[in-house]
Amino acid sequence: MIYLDSAATTLEKPRSVPAAAAWAMTHMASPGRGGHPASALAADTMYRCRELAAELFGVGDPERVILTSNATHGLNIAIRSLVERGSTVLISGYEHNAVTRPLYALPDVKVKIAAGPLFDADGVYEAFRRELTPDVDAVICNHVSNVFGFVQPVDRIAALCRERGAPLIVDASQSAGTLPVDLGRWGAAFVAMPGHKGLYGPQGTGLLLCGGETRPLLYGGTGSQSRLQEMPDFLPDQLEAGTQNVCGAAGLLAGMRFVKERGIGRIRAHETGLARRMMDRLAAVPGVTVYRGPDQSGLFSVTVDHMDCEEAGAALAKRGVAVRAGLHCSPLAHRTAGTEESGTVRFSFSAFSTARQTDRAAGLFRQIVTQGKEAR
Amino acid sequence: MVYYLIVCRSLTQAQRTAHLLERAGIAGSVIRAPKLISKEGCGYCVRVAERNLTDALMVLRREGMPPRQVFLQSAEGVYSEVPA
Repeated sequence: MIYLDSAATTLEKPRSVPAAAAWAMTHMASPGRGGHPASALAADTMYRCRELAAELFGVGDPERVILTSNATHGLNIAIRSLVERGSTVLISGYEHNAVTRPLYALPDVKVKIAAGPLFDADGVYEAFRRELTPDVDAVICNHVSNVFGFVQPVDRIAALCRERGAPLIVDASQSAGTLPVDLGRWGAAFVAMPGHKGLYGPQGTGLLLCGGETRPLLYGGTGSQSRLQEMPDFLPDQLEAGTQNVCGAAGLLAGMRFVKERGIGRIRAHETGLARRMMDRLAAVPGVTVYRGPDQSGLFSVTVDHMDCEEAGAALAKRGVAVRAGLHCSPLAHRTAGTEESGTVRFSFSAFSTARQTDRAAGLFRQIVTQGKEAR
Repeated sequence: MVYYLIVCRSLTQAQRTAHLLERAGIAGSVIRAPKLISKEGCGYCVRVAERNLTDALMVLRREGMPPRQVFLQSAEGVYSEVPA
């Protein structure tokens, strides 16, 4: 199989990741629930995970790194911490349902959209500048669009939020591991990210970096202050109720070590290089529209004239190429870019993707598009 | 042996405390807080040797993590709070 769906989950992992997760399953017990060596080993792994994440993502204090089950979990905590009934929230035009659905579920929340044109970072920034009015209680922006790979001007948006005193939540789902992500430099209230994409951890892992005030989403045992019925008011315990995913944390730690060793800049150069190579090939196929721009990460989307995106995705799958077609859980991004009715076929790469795979997939896609046209 | 127990609010804080001490060349081990000194139930502390307490407190103050409480653990297993 040629796997070009790394924006959903990186499938090929460094060997150390499954090894660490498997070893943890039979050697590590519940962290913070006992003083025996198996519990201490688990606690040590969790702490090393926080410590490395703090180093990679500009968090001064490892206690402010929360281990979550995915980016959505972290975003829900962040949103519930900052947004309440009657709040006004400003979001970008490229947000995922992981942001829009939690907001929709809260009563009487007004959502404003700073919708700038696709691949126009200045236009997006201007939209935020215009819409960030004093009534806005929180700002949410993804670093990279999961549909188009559009790198949003988060540095400038963060500066604007600091200047106007608005707390910022950054969804780093598509950038952690490939672009510089820095909670401290941004002065963000929260940064949420998955562990299973660019950090090469197992599914069921994620990180929430906390720069601001927090509120628990789940309530339960934490292994601390057990006599009290209130949740602890300190991190990470306040946001980590219940037994944690130690096997996941062990794998995530191994994944982050790989990212650190390989280097974020090198991984990004590799992925964007492959993306450009494939975009060049697909752009030459009649009837294919490639969505590309100057501020783009290692993923991109295409549409095909007179061919349903799901049909194209299924035809690729049949030939052994894994991609994702449809709306990618981001109808807002498609609406902003004008592809809501058609959807798109998305190609995304990882540190393990190769030029040979890319060329082969491009050739097969050309074949599918050409045959589709001839069949009609 | 006489030890001092630096009481921490959470396991993670205890781990961070031990890590900071280790970086400063001071050995400290994370242990569950004895029930007698853990009034809120289930706590953690960092145990340091008697001779290291002064240096440990200095390091923690310098790092902006002054301990909430410090207990002396006597050779007989009796705990008594000492000024932090």
